[in-house]
Amino acid sequence: MALALGDLAEGLRRSWLWAALAQQDLRLRYRGSVLGPFWQTLTTAVMIAGMGFIYSKLFRIRVDSYLPMLALGLIFWMFVSALVTESCTTFTAVQGIIQQVKLPFSVHVYRLLYRNLLTLAHNFLIVPVVLLIFPQPIQFWRLLELVPALALILVNGAWLAILLGMISARFRDVPPIVASVVQVVFFVTPVMWPLAALGAAARWVELNPLFAMIDVLRAPLLGVSQAPYSWTILIGMTVLGCATAFAFFARFRHRLAFWV
Amino acid sequence: MSLVRLRDVSVDFPIYQGGSRSLKKALLATSTRGNLASDGLDRITVRALREISLELVNGDRLALIGANGAGKTTLLKVLAGVYEPSQGTITAFGKVSSLLDINVGLEIDATGYENIIMRGMFMGIRPREMRRMAGGIAEFTELGHYLDMPVRTYSAGMMVRLSFAISTCVRPEILIMDEWLSAGDAQFLGKAQRRIEGFVRESSILVLASHSMELVEEWCNRGILLEHGRIAAMGPVSEVVAAYRRLVESGSAAVAPAAAA
Repeated sequence: MALALGDLAEGLRRSWLWAALAQQDLRLRYRGSVLGPFWQTLTTAVMIAGMGFIYSKLFRIRVDSYLPMLALGLIFWMFVSALVTESCTTFTAVQGIIQQVKLPFSVHVYRLLYRNLLTLAHNFLIVPVVLLIFPQPIQFWRLLELVPALALILVNGAWLAILLGMISARFRDVPPIVASVVQVVFFVTPVMWPLAALGAAARWVELNPLFAMIDVLRAPLLGVSQAPYSWTILIGMTVLGCATAFAFFARFRHRLAFWV
Repeated sequence: MSLVRLRDVSVDFPIYQGGSRSLKKALLATSTRGNLASDGLDRITVRALREISLELVNGDRLALIGANGAGKTTLLKVLAGVYEPSQGTITAFGKVSSLLDINVGLEIDATGYENIIMRGMFMGIRPREMRRMAGGIAEFTELGHYLDMPVRTYSAGMMVRLSFAISTCVRPEILIMDEWLSAGDAQFLGKAQRRIEGFVRESSILVLASHSMELVEEWCNRGILLEHGRIAAMGPVSEVVAAYRRLVESGSAAVAPAAAA
């Protein structure tokens, strides 16, 4: 228990290490492309522009209300879904390091979170552009909500990385299962389509935890209010998830080197 | 002052994928020198190390010898702090530097220089400091302009040079090396040996696992012969090497060391 806490704290103290590693991850991912990580930004921008105009016609929604919703939805979906899927390889991806040097395991968790935060920052450059072209009724004080929202999502990312990372190291068939589930969830999450289009059935969709994560980030930027349970779901998930993941971590941390 | 003390250390290896029958069969059929047993959940556990006790102090250069699967690498990993013992205790004072696998820890898409910085970070050295030492490391490797190329283009010997030079750029107090070192050429091995002798004179500890008896006799002063995860012989390196040769001749070591070295 104390060792597990120590691991988390010791990992935090090595912020220079995981910050540099996360930057290196991005550098290597986009090695050889002129734009570097902005290649990702460009891809996302083109996708949003293309889908925004076509799907607004398909759904018969005005493009100036559909496109901002889609843009924010997609950018935040990419962020939270990557947190979930990459969680599975938190430890197996760095198996070589775990087998060779003694490091706090949490270093790998923080590296994953920071890498995804950097990716989000690159994609987020699209947001001001979209909001300039299609202004939304934003109340500026509500932008403060983004701070706790992002913080809670990162905490959720941390417990997911620990729990799914460890389970996936132990049971190798977990990552493909998680990947398929996330793919299916994409279609039932109001990213590409507006929640209101569902009518009365919307309240079931609102219970989707990934929607809750997207909703708390997206709503203030669109100047609308969050779905009624989004914050509750997010906070509940944080508490439950952290407790489970921590118990698991404290119990099995010493076996992790044998699992990877 | 560096010191390593192991007391009755045992390590059980759970083979989780052993649930599938074919692997279980494969495991039992091969000449694994560990001891197979099934635990309550019908998982296979390999007792890779049994009740290992040893003490290493300043200036000790310990050779680990034994057949494949005798527990050498597992013992190295316990010494490096990577594996926690299932039973027993380990006490280690001193900065550990481990070279367990050449490819491991090298990012093959990154250049040699980038790997110098990265490996350094894993050793706890900040990039700024590592950049200052990069020149010396580059010189030691003699890799020249290859250091600007991705590591995937390197030969095994070049990777050995790079890994060795990085891991020994600051004087390690406890240096742990697995047998891959023999991939380096004779000229490099001589250079590496001189560097290590320098460290050991300055009171470091070296633990080296190898199948090359020549290398072991040249580099080490103490030896441990592992058999089935147990210490079969311990003492001055020449005696332990002799014990190993007797063991091989008597045929009880199923895996010929020459084939593995």
